[in-house]
Amino acid sequence: MTVSPSELAERVAGIVGSDRFSSDYGTAKVRVGRDRWTAAHEALKAELPYFSWLSAIDWASEVSVGDPPEEAVEDRFEVLSCLGNTDDGAMVVLSTDVAKDDARIDSVSGVFGGANWHEREAAEMFGIEFTGHPNLTKLYLVDSFEGHPLRKTFPLLSREVKPWPGTVDVEDMPSTENPEDAG
Amino acid sequence: MTAGDRLSMHHSEVQVSVELQTPDMTLNLGPQHPSTHGVLRLVARVDGEVIKEVEPVIGYMHRGYEKLAEVRTYPQITALVNRIDWVSGFANEIPFMVATERLMEIETPERAQYIRLILTEMARISSHLIFLSSYPLELGASTPLMHALRERERVLDLIEGVTGGRFHPNFNRIGGVRPAAGAGSAQKKVSQDLPEGFLDQTRQAMQHVRDVCDDMEDLVLGNEIFLERTKGIGIIPPSKALEYGVSGPSLRGSGVGFDLRKTDDYLPYSEFEFDVPTGENGDCFDRYWVRLEEIRQAARIIDQAVDSIPSGELQAKVPRIIKVPKGEAYVRAENPKGEMGFYVVSEGGRGPYRLKIRSASFSNLSVLPWLLEGQLVPDIIAILGSLDFVLGDVDR
Repeated sequence: MTVSPSELAERVAGIVGSDRFSSDYGTAKVRVGRDRWTAAHEALKAELPYFSWLSAIDWASEVSVGDPPEEAVEDRFEVLSCLGNTDDGAMVVLSTDVAKDDARIDSVSGVFGGANWHEREAAEMFGIEFTGHPNLTKLYLVDSFEGHPLRKTFPLLSREVKPWPGTVDVEDMPSTENPEDAG
Repeated sequence: MTAGDRLSMHHSEVQVSVELQTPDMTLNLGPQHPSTHGVLRLVARVDGEVIKEVEPVIGYMHRGYEKLAEVRTYPQITALVNRIDWVSGFANEIPFMVATERLMEIETPERAQYIRLILTEMARISSHLIFLSSYPLELGASTPLMHALRERERVLDLIEGVTGGRFHPNFNRIGGVRPAAGAGSAQKKVSQDLPEGFLDQTRQAMQHVRDVCDDMEDLVLGNEIFLERTKGIGIIPPSKALEYGVSGPSLRGSGVGFDLRKTDDYLPYSEFEFDVPTGENGDCFDRYWVRLEEIRQAARIIDQAVDSIPSGELQAKVPRIIKVPKGEAYVRAENPKGEMGFYVVSEGGRGPYRLKIRSASFSNLSVLPWLLEGQLVPDIIAILGSLDFVLGDVDR
């Protein structure tokens, strides 16, 4: 890579007008405000024309599946998108916070056509509304599906019925009691 | 009266109104159709032979891996991820492993990295050979299939010899590669490495692979029907390809020489010489030609790697119970289908808090509604096939 992640994060943060950026583990990440989401994508399109992906994270201290975070986190959705360019392989992850009781954000599908499907997936999986999206219907799930599967409050039904069908040997499964005893 | 006179008389009696309105027809393709490589449904609105609008319907293969990953431990997820793109199972494991290793700050031994690289390139060859042979089949040529699958079997045998699995190797461990030598303390001491004669057999297999590439060039690229059906069909301009996140050979067919093996450092590709072939027109033919050329380059990389593979450890020291420190990392890799990446979010647990899977086929297929608009119905299959997607990779 010709440009280091830390330099890239700093430069991109300058373009979108943000002072929150990081480059831990080789991943350049820039935080932008929700109201600047679409504007940030427009500003970056000339330099980073390659749209890689868009998704979200459900941050919650209490979870119904898997391990909860070790430290308490602020309840919110984090929407992420990844842009890059093909000349020097620069890659940056943009991120913004969306409140759970007002889960709406402007669509970037007008800026990057490829965001269309990614936003439809994030909408059905997390229940986030992408304002201005041309066709925000379900992508993977059947139309009659209720709930948003990737929310941490959504239980994994097969685990409710039967905790873990296989033999637990060296490791415990996430969210079982006393993991240290099993080793 | 001659036949010609009768024909011309008949012709003059037929009145054709150019303003004739034909109602649009909805044409359903799939979900079960041999050309859809899995279960994909296309709903096309057509006006005569011209496609007005296409809506791909996906999700028939959705297995919810992103949710499943949240109730699995890191070592268990390897078994999930090599089922995403099942035509190149081994290559899927790499970005997930590298992301986890970065978060845990583990240095993978060099020999393990070389083995990963060799097997990844073998996965590329086997994936591309499937495309090179099945695509002409969709266009009506069945001979290339036999030639390509014969040589693919050699490559799969080599993968099986090392990993024990033809399609789902599940061979990577965090910190290296090493098949578990079975349960029980007696067997744990048995060290496993590359099987005897693997390097020589690999050299021979690569020569066979090169030969079959030459055969394919004669059989397919020299075929007039194939040229007629692919040249100038389904053109993706570079700017559209980038906007939709089209990656891999499909992007390089459009003339963008973007290859993550050259720009990223997830495996030691910088130590080898290889070219990145690019097309000129971005049509179906270019996408085919790029993949053919990529097999030759993959064979070239494997030959160099086999000659220079270092000796040493296969596995770094890792804790018995793997817990990944808090952090986020995105690692992407140049898979046979394009960019495959994993955004791993760890909150210090035994499984990831969130795992975003970026699969190549999903983005490559998302350009389809744009690409098919205004094309002819007979070209649907030619364009669809040239994108080389796998539905497991689309739906995840």
